Amino acid sequence: MTRTPAGWDVESPVQAEVFVVWLRDDHLELTGPCGAAPWILELGATDHPVAVVDRIVRDVVGTPLLVHSTSWRRDRDAVILSFVVVIDEALVGGMESVPIGRAELARSEATAAPRDIADTQVVEHGLRHMAWLAVDDAVVAGALSPRWKEILAGYVPEPFRNLG
Amino acid sequence: MNENRVLRCACGWETTGTLDELVIAALDHGRRIHNMEPTRDQVLAMVVDDAAADDDPVYEAAAAPPGD
Repeated sequence: MTRTPAGWDVESPVQAEVFVVWLRDDHLELTGPCGAAPWILELGATDHPVAVVDRIVRDVVGTPLLVHSTSWRRDRDAVILSFVVVIDEALVGGMESVPIGRAELARSEATAAPRDIADTQVVEHGLRHMAWLAVDDAVVAGALSPRWKEILAGYVPEPFRNLG
Repeated sequence: MNENRVLRCACGWETTGTLDELVIAALDHGRRIHNMEPTRDQVLAMVVDDAAADDDPVYEAAAAPPGD
């Protein structure tokens, strides 16, 4: 779940980090055109982040069930907006996919952001955010299957927040 | 001397070919996958020799390309 530390990369001051999640039998998996690695999108000065993520996901993967921004943080010399995108199983195709494990959250200090935030912690918080939406937001609740909501019930609900 | 060149994206995608082929492929990858509009010069700045990439452990560690 890492990106290559050398080579060509997105360098814009604001970036979207997309985690494409789907329900495989009884568990959630992470997929996307970058496999299990975070899928990074450049966001321009006039771009609306949600619109860009929705458009690129539709073009590359297919129509998503849900697109939600779940957190933000300062990293990679940029402001990173993290998104959880829920897709149907039929869209996974040949993309690499890995089960999502659980992780401890990266917690802020009283007056400072966490020093290090792992991708797994961003995903953990993203799914906790989805768990919160699944019981607080009628649109999200309506878009998720009963099995999805059963799995999210195992996550501690949390609203959108700054991770660092 | 091996005239093939390699360009690898941080996401794991890579392409090999002539400079013109790399630029075309990179512009398409950047636009479709990362919402980027890189210039030709930006692409060329990240190109390496095929042989150099083979010797680089960082590149070797990213040998599995994504499904793009």
